[in-house]
Amino acid sequence: MADIQLVAEPGRAEGSRASRRLRHAGRIPAVVYGHGIEPISVSVDARELRAALNGEAGTRALLQLSVGSEQHLAVARQLQRHPVRHTVTHIDFQVVSRDEIISAEVPISLVGEAVAVHRGDGTVAQDLMSLAVKARPADLPPHIEVDVSELEIGSTIRVGNLSLPAGVETDVDPEQAIAVGQPPQVVVVTEQAEAEEGGAESAAEEAEAAGGEGAGES
Amino acid sequence: MLMPRKVKHRKQQRGRMTGLAKGGETVSFGDYGIQALEPGWITARQIEAARIAMTRHVRRGGKVWIRVFPDKPVTQKPAETRMGSGKGNPEHWVAVVKPGRVLFELAGVDEALAQAAMERAIQKLPVKARFIVRPGVGSMPEVQV
Repeated sequence: MADIQLVAEPGRAEGSRASRRLRHAGRIPAVVYGHGIEPISVSVDARELRAALNGEAGTRALLQLSVGSEQHLAVARQLQRHPVRHTVTHIDFQVVSRDEIISAEVPISLVGEAVAVHRGDGTVAQDLMSLAVKARPADLPPHIEVDVSELEIGSTIRVGNLSLPAGVETDVDPEQAIAVGQPPQVVVVTEQAEAEEGGAESAAEEAEAAGGEGAGES
Repeated sequence: MLMPRKVKHRKQQRGRMTGLAKGGETVSFGDYGIQALEPGWITARQIEAARIAMTRHVRRGGKVWIRVFPDKPVTQKPAETRMGSGKGNPEHWVAVVKPGRVLFELAGVDEALAQAAMERAIQKLPVKARFIVRPGVGSMPEVQV
């Protein structure tokens, strides 16, 4: 993974009102900390941040952060998002060095077609969306691929079955399930059954309406 | 229909619904979700109607999660009753929802089918809601600004 350049402007005003003004101006408030440096309140350009963190490595990207005249190697540690719009409202950058082992959450993506599961009208349930791993910043994979083509209904792929890239370790329980082949859950409704059910529903509604009118009159 | 098995108090006060959702605002289990855009009370019947609308459209495959639970009792006085004589009887159960709350999730189907199914479910709900996709799934970017 190549480092991504990102410019962070120090000396922003702190507080919710100033931060809101910053966001309106197209900048995102952030903080830089780690490796014994005093935490620095900074702001980054929203468009630049989007470009930096939507690349191949995603939010695990290794960033070359320029804060004023200083350069820091950093990773995005925590992203705070707006609860409705899901836009990033604040970001933490953690300063790292190339030879230290850091922890990160790497997303798990399922690849392949689970033919046996789909043939039985089942579904592949992904129980674990991301895996907590430890690795050097440059060794962090953008995502971990799990092949589900051999998965069958009732079988499970566990963390212990994963073959992690070199230099990447995990402390997650090896028995933790990642993907499970589940039997069909959505009941197939035939047209006849639907019609019967519809009839029953309408009868119930009519009875309810009659009852409601009766109650109103009494 | 969904309702608590047992409750500490049979009747509750109505409460306020100011602000935004404080949790449950991300798609956590499936790939697609329905997100509330305004506050409101969603009854157990409405939750069930939305679930049925969604599962009927999907027909086969797919897994549905219901992310809200109607744990608040709503009371009503009988019709034509004079005021007073205490609070009414518990009639139904509602889930209190604030903007941002993910109400349902769906996985195991493609995006177009999920959207069509969830649009049908949204029609059964008393609040404005929208279809959302988990960041990183399909064309949805991880970071939105």
